[in-house]
Amino acid sequence: MRAFIGQLALALIVATACAPPSVGAGTSAVASGGGPRRGGSMVIAASADPGHFNPAITTAGGTHFVADSLYNGLIFLDEKLEPKPDLADRWDISADGRTYTFHLHPGVKWHDGQPFSSADVKFSFEEVLLKYHARTKAGLEAVLAGIDAPDPDTVIFRFKQAYGPLLQRLDVVEAPIVAKHIYTGLDPTKADANLKPVGTGPFKLAEYVKGDRVRFERNDAYFKPGRPYLDELVFRIIPQSNTQVLALERGEIDYVSGIPGPDLERLQKNGGYTIAKSGAGSGGSFCITTLIYNLSRPPLDRVEVRQGLAYAIDRQQILDQVYFGQGRVATSAIASTITWAHNANVAKYPLDAGRANQLLDAAGTKRAADGTRFKLEFVHATSFAKIGELMRQQLAAVGIDLQLTALEVNAANDRTFIKKDFDIGAASYCNGPDPEIGVRRVYVSNNIGPILFSNGAGYRNPRVDQLFDTAAASVDRGERAKAYYEIQDIVARDIPDWGLVETEGYRGWAKRFHDLSYWSGDLAEAAWQEP
Amino acid sequence: MKAHRARAILPAGLGVGGILVLVVVLAAVAGPRLAPADPFGVSALPFQAPGGSHPFGTDDLGRDTLGGVLHGARVSLLVGVAAAAVAALVGTAVGASAGFYGGWTDDVLMRLTELVQVTPRFFLAVVVAALFGPSIAWLTLLLALTFWPATARLVRAQVLSLRHRDYVVAARAVGVREASILRRHVLPGALGVIVVSAALQVGSAILVEARLSFLGLGDRSVISWGYMLNDAQPFLRSAWWMSVFPGAALALTVLGTNLLADGMYDAWDPAARGERR
Amino acid sequence: MARYVVRRMLQAIPVLLAILVATFFLIHTAPGDPVTILAGDGGDQAYYDAARARFGLDRPLPEQLAIYLANAVRGDFGYSFVHRRPVFDVIADRVPATLLLMLTALAFSTAAGIALGALAARRSGEPADHAIVVCTVAASATPAFWLGQVLVIVFAAGLGWFPVQGMTTARGSPAGPGAVLDVIHHLALPALTLGSLQLALVTRLVRSGLREALREDYVRTARAKGLTARAVVARHGLPNTLLPVITVVGGHFGTLLTGAVLTEIIFAWPGLGRLLYDATLSRDYPLLMAMFIVASVSVVTANLLTDLTYGMLDPRVRLA
Repeated sequence: MRAFIGQLALALIVATACAPPSVGAGTSAVASGGGPRRGGSMVIAASADPGHFNPAITTAGGTHFVADSLYNGLIFLDEKLEPKPDLADRWDISADGRTYTFHLHPGVKWHDGQPFSSADVKFSFEEVLLKYHARTKAGLEAVLAGIDAPDPDTVIFRFKQAYGPLLQRLDVVEAPIVAKHIYTGLDPTKADANLKPVGTGPFKLAEYVKGDRVRFERNDAYFKPGRPYLDELVFRIIPQSNTQVLALERGEIDYVSGIPGPDLERLQKNGGYTIAKSGAGSGGSFCITTLIYNLSRPPLDRVEVRQGLAYAIDRQQILDQVYFGQGRVATSAIASTITWAHNANVAKYPLDAGRANQLLDAAGTKRAADGTRFKLEFVHATSFAKIGELMRQQLAAVGIDLQLTALEVNAANDRTFIKKDFDIGAASYCNGPDPEIGVRRVYVSNNIGPILFSNGAGYRNPRVDQLFDTAAASVDRGERAKAYYEIQDIVARDIPDWGLVETEGYRGWAKRFHDLSYWSGDLAEAAWQEP
Repeated sequence: MKAHRARAILPAGLGVGGILVLVVVLAAVAGPRLAPADPFGVSALPFQAPGGSHPFGTDDLGRDTLGGVLHGARVSLLVGVAAAAVAALVGTAVGASAGFYGGWTDDVLMRLTELVQVTPRFFLAVVVAALFGPSIAWLTLLLALTFWPATARLVRAQVLSLRHRDYVVAARAVGVREASILRRHVLPGALGVIVVSAALQVGSAILVEARLSFLGLGDRSVISWGYMLNDAQPFLRSAWWMSVFPGAALALTVLGTNLLADGMYDAWDPAARGERR
Repeated sequence: MARYVVRRMLQAIPVLLAILVATFFLIHTAPGDPVTILAGDGGDQAYYDAARARFGLDRPLPEQLAIYLANAVRGDFGYSFVHRRPVFDVIADRVPATLLLMLTALAFSTAAGIALGALAARRSGEPADHAIVVCTVAASATPAFWLGQVLVIVFAAGLGWFPVQGMTTARGSPAGPGAVLDVIHHLALPALTLGSLQLALVTRLVRSGLREALREDYVRTARAKGLTARAVVARHGLPNTLLPVITVVGGHFGTLLTGAVLTEIIFAWPGLGRLLYDATLSRDYPLLMAMFIVASVSVVTANLLTDLTYGMLDPRVRLA
């Protein structure tokens, strides 16, 4: 009944076979008369050394950014994060939403020539992903009943109850498939094989100079006809984003995944680069920089106080001066980029110092002789320091003395999520490709425990808990959206936390390259270079 | 001959160094009165080039760079002077005891000195700042606790050389108490090296603070030059003034203290040459 | 001599052990938990518990230390949490690049320092002397990270004389002699940045040493015999001033290592610097411990080598 997604996928794979560049086309600016052509090499700036090449044992962005090009997921997520075929050609979802059947692409080979089969998928999940991939383990372990591999080309996922967001969890970032014949009997976290990766992906490892660069060669036996087009990918490790941009401008590299605000205008004017913005990437998708209110501490336990804060904080100024306009002022608990679930019509708190003062007065917080109502400690990572400095000014205007405690990021997260020792905290909550993945954890009351990026505010609302369960246990988008709409309504009134900015990164690359999947882990599968 | 040498160096060293240090000290003392009361205060549009009411321009949040440099002088100098002073005290106590008493006291103290000296200071500073949170007070203490071995070694060498001087031997012969000999006769002779090494450490401490800030591990609750340099990083090309002014202030201060130390060293006590590190 | 070396090494053992234990407690009691950091944006209590057990972090701290020391004695310093490889393998990969940078910087600061110091000594009291003193001290007073960035903007981004980053060309690295030239081309700016740190120190030592030497009787005699000032400096003055230079430069090994950390980060140099920074941020305990050991051992070794060189150059210093 729900097989229409699979049929759509089938239609797409046929289209793909006929016109290779259509899936995952990042830019459509194809030079006149030119289409994808073989050859060329692209040098990509990587901010961190990958360390190893097994993306199935880690969620580290540094490893995924590089290693994902060596592997595939069952699913590829397109620019709108809609599922498209990858290792799975098509899939059927049972009417009750509890069984997913994936039909694998026949004849796929690992880099060492061994055939890929459903046994690899089963092994990857059971022995690697569900043990060591933090997000996949946390998301699927509790709901999954089992994985079957009835024949080499079929994999069946069985769930204890209906489960909606599975397809969004199966791309190469969330669930890369590794080779059973390589890892059987080994501890995948310590195996030497992690440095001699054998994947199914469009590229193969050719050279790894630690701390310096990683070189990939074209996988000539790749299962998608014609792809990849590039002969070589080089990831050059450059920690500073300033330096990355300089290197791009000097032609030492071709691709930068994060252009700092101050450099953006110059690169845009230059004209030699394609600039694309995206809230997605291998490090986390659709992130909202969010203030977390410690609801167990007065006066933040009063909703009037939190509303007062909302009226007093100038988020546009933060977007302009801290993020250089790279993003949008947040509107609700779910990012506006997840269009089907985002509810734009929730309670709004436009900048209004008068309303803020009224609400704070109503909450019974009186101004002392020096005009101060109360003090709040803002515990934050140094990357949010600028936000704190602006907010200190903004809140002083309504009589709130914001004390800034800027800490190294892990120490700040420790104070906020583990020790719960803060008045206001801050985090960049990434929604992920589905609200079930990245939004649920922020608001459900069974996730208040000492876990990073959990419900740091300590928010408890039984109705919200119930709505999240309803949304997860359905495979119907309309039904799911209804639940998420109501959640956003409630959260906008309760304000357990306060979304400031939906951040978006700007990627830039030399104009001669086309069709980069810059939002995905599999950056260059379809990329090609003009002669 | 000695006088001739001192005269040759004085203009380059003591003169320039003294003036630079004096200017910085004046800025630190009087600065906050000249500049806006709150260096964090947003007073203008961001990214204004130097000129008019903002002679050093404004930063990315619209804060006055001159105000930051003046307020920063206070913090940076405080870190430098406090770290160097504590290090000088600890170093003098350790070095003098080791040199004067000798024997097992010397052995134990020198082993300890070695231990601290071999510990990579900046590694330690990075780890402590990252792990325990960046705080100017902790940083100053950490610097003091890692700077003292240099002073201790110098003082010990000085005390060893003075111990057998006639006036010390004479004092001991007439029954003056050891501590008193140390205080009245030995330490004054070592004062030169102590002050010189402390002056050098003022500059080093200011630089370490700036380096930590560069790595994003500085204390952001106060404005220091390191803080400003760190903030200026993304804007090196678009707003040069954000890094040039605090950078120059920092370089001139370190230059000043170094030249001053050099000049004093040459003018004061040539005997310690070669021992100095 | 061999006995001296062995004795010095034995003496270093308790010092290193003390550093090891102190560092162990320092690192392990710090806020921030490697397991939660590894799990990152995701993970749950079950994942945390499993990972803690896997890394042995669920045991009491003294027990962890005992296990660490017992393994260390057998040469096993553990696996990096992040790189998932034995820590010394991870470090060994980065050592050559850092060593290359440090030695080049050392060679630069020594050579330039001797040249400038000699010039200043010969022009003692003249404007050139003052200019050299002030300029070299100013160079070492400028924070290396800032100097490095300015050099990049002017000479790499602006004039295009040097590459902006890295140790080799990322795109189609040349082979053979071309590869050496390529590395030298990349090495120039970082080595200059790092070398400028110690330039003032060397210059000052050479300058003051030479000035003293030039007043000695034998030098006056040599000059009276008609030797040029340059020849006198080269033959008689310099050899004597090299001793303090070696002592002081060797004693500043730690400073150089520090400078290397920052220089490497600015120039994306594939050495130990970034590794230390990342290991700190990710609370990679085993890797951090190992880096402390490596840094301490290399400082001890540098001190020992300094003393040995000193002993060889100056027969009056007896190593016993």
